[in-house]
Order: sequence, then C-alpha cells, then structure tokens
Amino acid sequence: MAATDDPSSPAFRDASNASFESGARLSAEPYYLALADEVDVFRAAYEARLPVLLKGPTGCGKTRFVEHMAWRLYREERSSTLEVPLLTIACHEDLTATDMVGRFLLRGDETVWSDGPLTRAARTGAICYLDEVVEARKDTTVLIHSLTDHRRLLPIEKTGELLPAHPDFLLVMSYNPGYQSVLKDLKPSTRQRFVSLTFDYPDRDREAAIVAHETGVDAVFADRLAAIGEKVRNLREHGFEEGVSTRLLVYTGQLTARGIEPRRAAEIAIVNAVSDDALVQTAIRDIVDTILP
Amino acid sequence: MQIELAEVEASLALFAEGIAGRYYHIAATSEFAGRRVRLDPGASALTRDTLYLPERLEAPDASAFRVLALQQLAHREFGSYRFDVTEALARLPHIPASDAFDRARAALPGVRASDFERFCLCFTEGPLANGILHLCERVRVDALIARHYPGGYRHLRRYHDQLIDAHPIEPVTNLSSLLHGLECIALGFDSRVAILLDHTGLLADCAEQLEAIATAPGDVYQSAAACATIMLTLAPLLDAKPDDLQLPLEEELGGPAAWMQREARLEDWREELAGLDQSLQGIELLDGDDPFAGEGEELGSGELRPEDRHLAALERERDTLARRIDMERSAIQDALGKEYPNARSYRYDEWDYLSRGYLRRWCRLFEIRLEPDKDQDLEPLVALMRHHRPRVQKQLELIRPLGYQRVRRVADGDELDFNAVIEARQDARAGQSPDERVYSRRDRVHRDVCAAFLVDLSASTDDPLDKSAPAAAPTTDDYPNLRDPFGAEDPPWEAAPTPRRIIDVQRDTMLILSAGLEGLGDSYGVYGFSGFGRDCVEFYVAKEPDERFSRATLAAIAGMKPKRSTRMGPAIRHAARKLVDSGSAMKVLIILSDGFPQDSDYGPVRGSHEYGVQDTARALQEAAEKGIETFCLTVDKSGHDYLRRMCPDNRYMIIEDVEGLPEALSTVYRTLTA
Repeated sequence: MAATDDPSSPAFRDASNASFESGARLSAEPYYLALADEVDVFRAAYEARLPVLLKGPTGCGKTRFVEHMAWRLYREERSSTLEVPLLTIACHEDLTATDMVGRFLLRGDETVWSDGPLTRAARTGAICYLDEVVEARKDTTVLIHSLTDHRRLLPIEKTGELLPAHPDFLLVMSYNPGYQSVLKDLKPSTRQRFVSLTFDYPDRDREAAIVAHETGVDAVFADRLAAIGEKVRNLREHGFEEGVSTRLLVYTGQLTARGIEPRRAAEIAIVNAVSDDALVQTAIRDIVDTILP
Repeated sequence: MQIELAEVEASLALFAEGIAGRYYHIAATSEFAGRRVRLDPGASALTRDTLYLPERLEAPDASAFRVLALQQLAHREFGSYRFDVTEALARLPHIPASDAFDRARAALPGVRASDFERFCLCFTEGPLANGILHLCERVRVDALIARHYPGGYRHLRRYHDQLIDAHPIEPVTNLSSLLHGLECIALGFDSRVAILLDHTGLLADCAEQLEAIATAPGDVYQSAAACATIMLTLAPLLDAKPDDLQLPLEEELGGPAAWMQREARLEDWREELAGLDQSLQGIELLDGDDPFAGEGEELGSGELRPEDRHLAALERERDTLARRIDMERSAIQDALGKEYPNARSYRYDEWDYLSRGYLRRWCRLFEIRLEPDKDQDLEPLVALMRHHRPRVQKQLELIRPLGYQRVRRVADGDELDFNAVIEARQDARAGQSPDERVYSRRDRVHRDVCAAFLVDLSASTDDPLDKSAPAAAPTTDDYPNLRDPFGAEDPPWEAAPTPRRIIDVQRDTMLILSAGLEGLGDSYGVYGFSGFGRDCVEFYVAKEPDERFSRATLAAIAGMKPKRSTRMGPAIRHAARKLVDSGSAMKVLIILSDGFPQDSDYGPVRGSHEYGVQDTARALQEAAEKGIETFCLTVDKSGHDYLRRMCPDNRYMIIEDVEGLPEALSTVYRTLTA
C-alpha cells in the first residue's frame, strides 16, 4: 500500500508535532519556589518586553520557572485566552533555523508551508522558550537577533515574509555555561541582547522543601535527599560538571513514595543517572549509603 | 576478612571529596612523613591535605575504610579543631588555668602548643587528660555521625562491634583496665554490663559522662567539660601530686589532631592579620599627611601625634602577627610533612620486567597546576610565537578540515532534496513505499583530535645546548627585527644573559606549536613531568585540552623549569588516562625528552636504565592498546639504542639540530593526526 499521504509518516509530519518542541497550555499553576528576586525581575522584563536569558545547570528549575512565569503573566494576572502561552524548543546540535522558523512540507501533490514554533509564538504573542540554546547551530542564534532588539521582526526567508512580532511575544533562552565546552559559547552579539538571570541549585533547606512538595515524602527524608544532592555536587569536576540535579532528587523521592526501597531508588535515579564511570558511581553509591538511614 | 587500602583508595578519595567538599589525598599511615609526629601504622589521621588510613584492615567489608574516613572528616565538619583554650576555660570555671604552659615556654623559648595541649596541661596528668579529651571527642563525633550520616553509622557500629570482639572488656581493677573499659563503652559496649565488671567504683560516673555526650552531642567544649569531670573522678587512681608536675613530651600530647587545631588557629590568625591590614589601610587613607607634628600644634616639634602612635603600635602588632604566622606555618609543615595543597594524587602500576609482572599501585603521581613565574618577562616569548606562527600554521593548515558540506537524502534538513522528492513521488505513483529521506542539510565535517604533549622537566634539561660554547643566542639574521631593520635596537634574545638550555628549546617549541594548534582548532593539553622516587611523581599541568590558550597558559608554559628525575612510566599512564577521558576519536601523545627514563628507585640496580626503559615501553604499549598514537622526540643524540626498544614501530625521532624542534614537532603532529 502506498503510504504517501499517511500523515504519520515523518516526511509529511506537521512541524508543530515535531518532537523537539512542545507547547504548554498551563491550566494549573506550576509549582515554583522563588530563591531570590527572579519573579519580580522576570515580570519587569516582560513588561518592558526585554528578552531574558536564564543561565544555570541542568535540572535546577529553569524550565519550571518559565512555566510558572508564563502561568502568572498569561493566566493569573491577565487571564489571556491564548491557548498555548508558552512554546518550548529543546535545542540540539542538529537544530537549524529551518526547524524554528518553519519549512515546506510535502502534502499530497503539493508543498505547503508550515510555521515553526518560533514563528507561531511570534504570530500569536506567546513566550518562546529556547532551552539549551548554545546546543543549536550558529545560524539559529543569528536568526533571533532581529526579534530581540527594537525591531521585533522575524524575517522568513523562504516565503519572503517579514513578520512583525505580536506585542505580547517574548523570547526566553536558557543556557548552561557549565558543561558546554568553551568552543560552544554564545556570541557577545547574541548574549548582549538579553537580560540575564543566573540560577543555581537551591540551598539544602529550600531544596528539601522543593523535594518534599514535589514528591510528598516526609521532611526528614527530603532533607536526607537534599544532603545527598549537596555532597554529590562536591564531585562536580569528575566527569559530570553538573552534579546531581534537583530534578533527580525529586525522581528519587517520587520512586520512594511509590514504594521503592530508598537505596534502590537512589541507585536508579541518582547513581546511574549522573555518571557512567564505575569509580564515580561507587563513590556516589557510598555517599548515598552513608547519608540514607 | 583483610582489606587493602590500595584496593579502595580511588573511590574513597571521591567519597571523601563528596563528604568534605574538598579534595584529600588518601595515603597509608605508613607513608606519613611528618617529622614531629609519630603515627601508629594502625591509626588514622587527617592533615591539611591528606587522609591517612591503615594500609590494611581486618574488617567485615570495605565499608570499614569508609567509616574511618568519615570519622576523620567528621572531626573537621563538627568543629573539633575549632577548639579554643580560652573559651574552654571560660566555660569551665572550676578548672584553674595552669601555668605549666608558661613554665614550659620559659624553659624552652619558642615552643608553641595547640590549644588541646594547653588545655590538657591544666591537669597534673596531661597525657592522660589528652587521651580522655580525645576519647570524649570521638564519642561526640560518632553521635553526630549517627544523626547526620545514619547509613554511615550502621557500618560504624558493625566495625566497632568487631573491634570490641577483638579486644573484649576485662575486669576493671586499675587505671589501665578502667581506660580500656571506657574505650569499649566509647565503641558502643553496653555500659551496664561494663559496670558489673568494675571493682574501682569509678567506672559508672565516667560512663555517665560519655553517655550524656552520646545522647545529646553538643560542641567541642562539651567534650572538654566531660574530660574535666572524668579527670576529677579518676583522681583517686592517680598518684601524681600537683607539685611534681612533669612536662610531657611533645609526642605524648601532640598527634595530628593537635596540629590540625594549630592549623585551624592559623586561619584565625590570618583573619586577624587581614583585619589589621584593613584598619591600617583605613588610617593611612584618612590621615595621609605628615605624621610629625608641625608648628602651631601642642606637641613638641618632631613628636608623633597620638593617632600616629596608635598607627605605629598597630604596625608593630601586624608585623609580630605576620612573623608568628610564618613561624607557625613552617612548624606545621615540619610536623606534618610536605604538602601538596592544590594537587590531586593518583596511583599507577609499574611494570617490573625482571619478574615479568606489574607492581600494583606502585607509584603515586601528584597532578599539580604549573604556577606561572610572576617575575618572568613574557614579551620575548610573545615575539617568538608571533615570529614562528605563520610557518607552523602553514604546515598545520595542510590538515585543516573541509568545513561545511551538504549532506543529501536525510530525514531532516533545511532544504528539500529535489532528486529525492522526485524519486519519492515516482515510487508513490508506482505503488511502492517511498524513501522518507527527502531533505538535505549542511553538516560540519568534524575533526575530533585530542593531543597531549608531555615535556620532560628533569634536572638535565637545565644543561646548555652546546656544552662547549657559552651563550648560544640566535643571531639577528634568524629573527629579523622588522621594526628596526638597522639593528639599532637590541633583539629580544640578547636580553637573556644565560646560555640557551634544553628546557628553553622545549618550552619555546611548545609555545610555537600551541600558537599553530590554536588556529587549527584541535584540543590539546600541555604537561610537564618530573619527581623524585615512586611516591612522588610530579605531573605538571600547563594547559588542559578544554582550556583555551590564554596569557595565563603562556605564563604557565613559560614557568616550566627543570626539576628532578624522569620517571616516564607513570607520567605516560596519567597522560593516557587524560586522553581516554577526553573521549576524542583520535588521541595523540607526544613526549619531548632529553634522555632515558631514570629515577632514584626506578629499578633495583642503580645506574642501570633497563628497568625504566622497559616500564616506559610498557606504558607506551598500554597507551597504544587504548587507541592512542604515541611518539617520542628526544634531543639526546645517543638515544637510538634505547628508543628503539622503548617506542613501538620506530615511533621516535632524534632531533639533531635542537633549534629545528618546532618544525620537527609540527611535522610529526601533522603526520600523526592527518
């Protein structure tokens, strides 16, 4: 049977369904525990429509923060009717400008233009969040230049359209200065278009509060997990510059809350996730074993 | 079951780093080389940069080493070394401050002591008080481990139970059996049972003190208070009279804990010094005018003003404190042995060709960052790099990657590939499944190379290039000075009065090649190595592959100096480990040396180089097995005989004209990586 018009075939997929991109409808408030003044700063930046750059290690809450802010700005404070107020693009090293702006697709016997997520956000007035932006190819960062200065224009080369961004549109990027090599860095011309908010893992008490909230484990166990986080991060230099993320601690808590024995849960969610080096794994396993009761 | 420290050392170092938040070398207590402290080989101790543990342990499993490490680190974490004698005596008014320490100082001027020692000297039986204070401290720290590291505490209990089994409690009839009883209680033995064996009637009161600590551990002064109470309780068993107080020997009191306390106190002094410096600066800023009284002031002419007298006093105080810090620091260094504060240590096997086997974990290698020489003028080196760069770069550019290439027929890309689209349509019309790869994209052609350059920094690299001729400065023809074609200005070379040495050529070569490699974009590390003996192989890092070449790198390479011996094997193994860790597809190791490998204990026969050559050959072979391309370059003209045996497939080159080293090296690099 000919599969030409099968919409599930990758060649004919709609760019909006691409795996790297996801939209958030934000029907409920995403939990976020503010560590400093980042909520106020972000709101002020949004009001002035200043693009925001979030710097920080993986799993420390950057994405959650953007979701939380999008919920506040679009749902709580303005009750916007926009269906998808936040479009997230997870950048990777093969991500090209085409993937963000849109491309021609084959549909039946014709080629049709399909907007990419960046174009869609600029048209509808959503927040477009480029996660791990330095991973993307260099041509993508240049693409956002005209969107992030006073012009707020998105040139779509392939259709010849010059799209003025919706007044509500905001571009947010995250960037992880830790593990990317020095060769993969943002150009100053890109970096200097953004106001920067720096994130790091929360201190032990607040991390325990986050873990307890997200997983429902008791405060003492949450504190033990936070202690593991603190100690394992002391080993950041050994092949895993990121340390263990708050996200992994939450995973451990979630597994434990569902009846997995705590050491086993930590083995799955922390020891195996953080490093492949057997020696480092042994050391982390020993730390976990020492801290858990 | 017997467990060797060497087996668990590597993971234990990481464990300790995680728990403590800083790196400690792990070493066997038998390796302890401090001069003023004696350590029992079965003891554990913590110094500023090293965690000493017994070489082997009789224990249920390997967690026993972790327990010992945790106990040592916990002393630091829970403030044992922040002990301050003044504070202790203020909290314990019933203990009279002793003048023993002052008497000791009068008898032996210049003697300092830790606050632990000073506290213990308040009792007539100083060494006994010292023992009890540390016993109480152990109980306190163990109780805090139970609270903060419950998993670790489980292993600790198991290990302690085994210790009690090995040395069971005996009937308590005198001081020594009572102390043993207390020791058992501190290890967790049930005190109710212990009291049943007590014939002195004193154990119960002492045990009560330990139990109070174990139930509600507080700060270090809680241990001091308990120690004082126990000392009072023990009085009937002690026969010393207050008058015949004898000054204990340093080893009887000291121990690493005392020195660690002195180290912690040094920190306080440093803070104090910084405070004094700050207030001095403040005064000088406020009052920058002439300190001597001028006319019209009430003071006599030339007399100091009160605030300036204050200034002078402050300055004196500052200088005294600075001197005290210096003396204390050198005393600590003397007591605890040489330190490697900003280094990491690794152990490597060594190949013993005589017995055809590896000596397991035979060498200890310290990885040390090369400290730039602050006084060195870098400008001539910059000029040198600038001069050579075009030639080297031209050579290296021959291997430059192709850049971007369009890749066709891929599932995802920025353009439709029309040929593929047409074929897909044809297939669809013909009723066949079309190929879904209808896009094309531009991909970068990667060059994934990581190189390590290992420079021999042995003492012999200090030799002049030409031993007969004096200074071998290059002529101005070799290095045309374009800014000054008539030679009126001295070329940078003549600024250096010393004759050119092997190390200078090696260093310059590395700089020139670095300049070229930066342009190529390959990642590369620059390392030096030397050392003395198997316990002290030194591996110097000037540049790691993931760092960019900067002025700091230049200064670090410029700081390469001749050091001591040439134990090549461990250095090669360590460089190979770094290359493997880099994860690059192509790994290259290039060694620059000036002679055969040699070290004080490199082989059983002094003067025979065969052992070193064989070990180096083995290390190179191991590197090759890990997929590393190796190459040795030497300036030793008599090198053919041993290099042929040492390097695989004639992967070596003898540089006849040393000044040609940069070009030879870039040719080698090009051949190896192209």
